[in-house]
Amino acid sequence: MIEIDGAQGEGGGQVLRTSLSLSASLGKPMLIKNIRQGRKKPGLMRQHLACINAMAEVCDARVKGAVIGSRIIEFIPGAIKAGDYHFVIESAGSSTLVFQTVLPALLLTGKPSRLILEGGTHNPMAPSFDFIRYCFLPVLRQMGAEFDVGVERYGFYPAGGGRWTITIMPAANYRKIELDSQTQLLGKRAKCIASRIPSHVLVREKRQLLKRLNWPDESITLETVESPGPGNIISLQMNYQNVTEIFESIGTRGISAEQVADRVVDELHRYQAIGAPVGRYLADQLLLPLSQGAGGSFVTGPLSEHSLTNVDVIRQFLDLDIELMGIEPGRHWRVVVNV
Amino acid sequence: MKTVVISLLGTTLDHRGFNGKRWERWRPTLSLCQHEDLVVDRLELLFQRDFQNIAGQLSQDIKTVSPETEVNHHIISLLDPWDFESVYAELLDFARSYPFDIEHEQYLLHITTGTHVAQICLYLLTEARYLPGRLIQTSPPQRRETVAGHYQIIDLDLSKYDLIASRFSREHQEGTHYLKGGIETRNPAFNRMIEQVEKVAIRSREPILLTGPSGSGKSLLAKRIYQLKKKRGQLPGNLVEVNCATLRGDNAMSALFGHVKGAFTGAATARKGLLAEADNGLLFLDEIGELGLDEQAMLLRAIEDKRFMPLGSDKEAGSRFQLIAGTNRNLFQQVEQGRFREDLLARINLWSYELPSLKQRLEDLEANIDYELEKYSQKANTLIGFNKQARDRYLRFAKSPEAIWNSNFRDLNASITRMATLSDGGRITQETVEEEIRRLRHDWRQSGGRNEASAVELLLDKPVDLFDRLQLAGVIRICQDSQTAAEAGRKLFNVSRLNKASANDSHRVIQFLGKFGLDFKAVKQWHERDGSINQ
Repeated sequence: MIEIDGAQGEGGGQVLRTSLSLSASLGKPMLIKNIRQGRKKPGLMRQHLACINAMAEVCDARVKGAVIGSRIIEFIPGAIKAGDYHFVIESAGSSTLVFQTVLPALLLTGKPSRLILEGGTHNPMAPSFDFIRYCFLPVLRQMGAEFDVGVERYGFYPAGGGRWTITIMPAANYRKIELDSQTQLLGKRAKCIASRIPSHVLVREKRQLLKRLNWPDESITLETVESPGPGNIISLQMNYQNVTEIFESIGTRGISAEQVADRVVDELHRYQAIGAPVGRYLADQLLLPLSQGAGGSFVTGPLSEHSLTNVDVIRQFLDLDIELMGIEPGRHWRVVVNV
Repeated sequence: MKTVVISLLGTTLDHRGFNGKRWERWRPTLSLCQHEDLVVDRLELLFQRDFQNIAGQLSQDIKTVSPETEVNHHIISLLDPWDFESVYAELLDFARSYPFDIEHEQYLLHITTGTHVAQICLYLLTEARYLPGRLIQTSPPQRRETVAGHYQIIDLDLSKYDLIASRFSREHQEGTHYLKGGIETRNPAFNRMIEQVEKVAIRSREPILLTGPSGSGKSLLAKRIYQLKKKRGQLPGNLVEVNCATLRGDNAMSALFGHVKGAFTGAATARKGLLAEADNGLLFLDEIGELGLDEQAMLLRAIEDKRFMPLGSDKEAGSRFQLIAGTNRNLFQQVEQGRFREDLLARINLWSYELPSLKQRLEDLEANIDYELEKYSQKANTLIGFNKQARDRYLRFAKSPEAIWNSNFRDLNASITRMATLSDGGRITQETVEEEIRRLRHDWRQSGGRNEASAVELLLDKPVDLFDRLQLAGVIRICQDSQTAAEAGRKLFNVSRLNKASANDSHRVIQFLGKFGLDFKAVKQWHERDGSINQ
């Protein structure tokens, strides 16, 4: 049994989710200790239980210790089953994190699966549905997988209640991918999305974006979406030849529309200043698919704690060669996964 | 184990309109289902029929944020949500009819919603275990926190409330400390007894019987019990203290129960009586064994019915007094001899405590010496203390078998008072101590007949019959007053020697002393060292 120290690296839910994905994909039983040890409320929270339960359902695992507040779980995976799943994530928890947890295993079955996910779609501290759809999934398509994705309802914190579906069509053989250099910018657009909030918010956000970005007016669209609760998000999309990057900012109470727009513009500027093709969030998320596919490489900015933790956890499950090479010291890193 | 929350619908806090804005507002009942570390499996929502709309929307919103939470509606009817009686009754009905399954479910009673009256009733019902669960309290978020805010689970059952518990125990300690007069006593039996006396004193108004030898502190303890109860606001009335040995005849009756004007010759004015004076207070009857049988009967009635008949009156008087009785006699023996009423003894014997003698508590002697010194110092307004050798000498004597502490703490008090009075410049010297020791020995010899050990026994170092002791004491005194054994013999056998051919007086004295392992010289020397025997 593989023993994982849940307190390593970023020491939070990331260690748990990456471990769950790997344990299920590889059929390796594991024991995770010290789960979220240093956090204010240590141990498993509802969103973590949601990931454990979803993963256990997909790979028919036997689980011990999966209760609120638990700091240790034993996860003994069985066979991975492709098929139809319906995951409901309560307390507006992120449905995208659950999706990302179960995806690697389902990509290895060779058969299609259809998922219905309910809960939060645009949460702070988690990749948004738009990020999954426009940034993450296209890279996996390059690897050979196919997806059919649609959204019925958005789910914003705190009401949640979003609903989306995805059909996962794994490839027989995965391709290596290389995202080593920034390529030509093919297009850019921005969306200001809102549900159940005054309409002037979107107008002000667009005005601020225009002021800061100097983009053509038609590249910025306003969208009102269906959702049980109020919510607002700005999503910037940069389409390069080899990758699409997404930058987002979520509107919350007490933050003006202008500030929401400023934050996303700052985020874009940071990415542009670094000049690497893969942004920090995508970098976190590419490590696992690359390790389980045919490998590959990418160049990104300074590696985040999340990325380094992912590398460490992957190395504990898989005997493979992940190289982290600093190029242009302090600015760019090249990550090479040899399988 | 499933988690079930029982909550009243908050018609203000849980209702923040029907538009999207409500999601930005903290709603206590909804917030219960929004916490990352709390899973509510079922919510029992109590509300009045008028608020069906609000309840419906709240339930729908709960379904959205927490699909796994099952919400059950309970219509209650509160005519006046601010009326204690009806709210309590309604909630009690709910509690009685609800199928609690404590084997498989844990219950949390949400006390943040509802009127204050309802919150208090929930608290009371939980404390009384009609609602077998813990309380849960929710509170709104601070700035920049997520809308779920905070929650806190309160278990009334646990002694988790260390602060409150320690406060209780501190008060308890203060109580016992107080009863001991602030003296740090070490005798375990005594400390145990005082601990119980403290509890009984605070919790009960039943009579207390204090037994123990004279001077063991019965009266002092009674006074302290009174003061402790008064401090805790339990006894608004007076402390009335009387020694029953001083009550005789008609006077006893009227002193205790009072009389009306003209009740008997000389009763020129009415008298209230001690029982009436102790109304709502404490009556301490010391030496209760000395009370006459008639008075005993009347007293029993006064204890049981709180009523009694003043002398010469045709109307009963009442008094709610607490009784503490003291005695150094064996009341059971008195009952057998027909001198004490059995029913009265049974009544006052409910809480009976035997105070140990000073000799039974020698480990507390030092603390008591310090206490007496302190007391004297305060009274005299000067600081009094022993010098080191003097203290050691006094303690050695005080703890020796020779020190019989005939009147217990009364003796100690007198002894310390004497030494303190005689001390110069606030220091008690060895000289003063030696003088005091001589005096104590003398006093205890004076009361020898009643003593556990007499001076003769001290000389012999073993107990002897009173017959022998009396005889020996006289013989020794004569010996000590005589130059030789022959001289003593002449005095002692002054009649019989005349009838003898050869009066071997000295031989007869030496033979008599020899029976007790004594010789003339030892008796003489003992005299020189320790003063004379006066039995």
